[in-house]
Amino acid sequence: MHNEVVEFLNAEVSGCNAVANIAEVGDSSITVDPTFIKQVCSALKSSDKFKMNVLQVVSGVDYPEENIIEVNYIVASFIENTELIIKVRLPRGDENNLPKVESVCDVWKAANFLERETYDMLGVVFENHPDHRRILCPDDWEGYPLRKDYVVQEKYMDMVVNPPEKINKDDIEFFAKMRVEHEDPTQVSGSWVDDHAWIDQDLANKAKDRVAQVKAAKKAKADAAKATEEKGE
Amino acid sequence: MDISKQEKLHTDLLTLNMGPQHPATHGVLRVEIKTDSEIIAEATPHLGYLHRCKEKHSEFLDYRGVIPYTDRMDYLAAMNMEHGYCLAIEKMLGTEVPKRAEYIRVMMAEMQRIASHLMFFGTYAIDLGAFSPFLYAFQDREFILRIFEELSGARLLYNYIWIGGVWNDINDAQLKRIEDFLVELEENVKKYHNLVGENSIFIGRTANVGVVSKEMAYEYGATGPMLRGSGIDWDLRKKRPYSIYEEFDFNTVVGEGIKGQVGDCWDRYHVRVMEIFESIKIIRQCLEGIEEGPIMGKVPKVLKVPKGEIYMRTECPRGELGYHIVSDGTKNPYRVKVKSSCFTHVSMLPEMAPGQMIADFVASIGSIDIVLGEVDR
Repeated sequence: MHNEVVEFLNAEVSGCNAVANIAEVGDSSITVDPTFIKQVCSALKSSDKFKMNVLQVVSGVDYPEENIIEVNYIVASFIENTELIIKVRLPRGDENNLPKVESVCDVWKAANFLERETYDMLGVVFENHPDHRRILCPDDWEGYPLRKDYVVQEKYMDMVVNPPEKINKDDIEFFAKMRVEHEDPTQVSGSWVDDHAWIDQDLANKAKDRVAQVKAAKKAKADAAKATEEKGE
Repeated sequence: MDISKQEKLHTDLLTLNMGPQHPATHGVLRVEIKTDSEIIAEATPHLGYLHRCKEKHSEFLDYRGVIPYTDRMDYLAAMNMEHGYCLAIEKMLGTEVPKRAEYIRVMMAEMQRIASHLMFFGTYAIDLGAFSPFLYAFQDREFILRIFEELSGARLLYNYIWIGGVWNDINDAQLKRIEDFLVELEENVKKYHNLVGENSIFIGRTANVGVVSKEMAYEYGATGPMLRGSGIDWDLRKKRPYSIYEEFDFNTVVGEGIKGQVGDCWDRYHVRVMEIFESIKIIRQCLEGIEEGPIMGKVPKVLKVPKGEIYMRTECPRGELGYHIVSDGTKNPYRVKVKSSCFTHVSMLPEMAPGQMIADFVASIGSIDIVLGEVDR
């Protein structure tokens, strides 16, 4: 199906450079040129063959290594019972120069909230959007939380974010203690990392050493067993 | 009745905040409404009061660790949330889920759907000023929660459906109890529907109110009972069967405008109540078909999902839930984007509201059946 859509798009919207990414695992997708996204969407919606009448999600993904933010428009046809991922890849930009792409609100009204969320979370600006504001975070929030390099701001409106007295130290120290006391510390799996500066360093080191010791002992035992097995053969 | 035309006096618009603490918004939704006496001229929903950064948290957890967080999105349909997530990961891994686990999963998902619709039934009646249906609905919901508690240890947030199967097996005594309960439930829901759905005050409050046309439903990407209420025959369990839904025989309930126009609040109410009966049908078939066997498939101890992306849709009580998961081949997901049906439904409010009375707007919000945990994530 993807190849047909690519053929259709390249014929209908000249210059959109549609390319199909056929995946072996998971879903395939189509990448198009960002400047033509609106034409591509309206072409898909109004085409008699594909009838993509519903916009399901606008989902952004941040790739800092490639310096790219990818915006996925997942569209579906409730008439033909198909779904399709359309990707645009935008340069990541910086604080003053956010990535920009044309809004598709005129094509599907559903895009209004979905694009606002993408702006809120990844800082992608949708041009000609009727109501371009943050949606989940407060209006005066700084930064774009779902970017990979996002750092939580220390203070929000004179309130300290993550005040030290609110951190659940007991829980983390409990797991460290378990690692010291339990007969097999490798079985203890606390979901929290215990290398925070504020936790009792002696305890943390003890726990770390014990886990390393037991692991080494286990490995030595396994190696010995393997060696005897090989000798026996 | 168009009151605004009869009124000759010009009045200023009054800005009014509905919420965030308002019993009729089912959580912490704030709707800023501009009213001309009782008539709403403009409504702007403000979201984010329950935003818990679920998508960001997921990026720091391993694939199994995300499951409890999915529970907390739609806390009234936690089983369905887990189900969708696990299906997405299993599709990426190519894991085969044992037959018994599939039956248990479908059974749990459908029981959860019943529980969720009963909750809707109760709270919607409260929205419209009737208190006792709420108590009736909770009586039956209680049984389902007890069964869930026995199986998973929790009443609301289960972490029961795992990648590859389910956590705990169900025994014959429990199956028997479910079977007995279904007989009772079927009678009860019929009774409740006669009590509430056929009540002339209820019909007066809901028929021809908050009409969503077919075009509007498509335009806004509405799904689930919202879409079916507008007369569109679309149910993912039928149209794109996942899990083992293709084995079951059940009907899709579609709004027909029995008491008013197609797509009004009464139609959406009707769709949800009738879906309870369809779910009962599915559970009965599960109880017949369930077979002995393992409940957990073969899944590696350290889960590493191959590089790629997937978009998985499932039919939840409130609409379609979609997971767009991007994997970079490590043991943590690179991105988990959740398509929440309620989020898209809330975006319809600004178009539904103008011209409605405030009390009718409360009825419209109630008929969407929003859970703010899912909207804000």
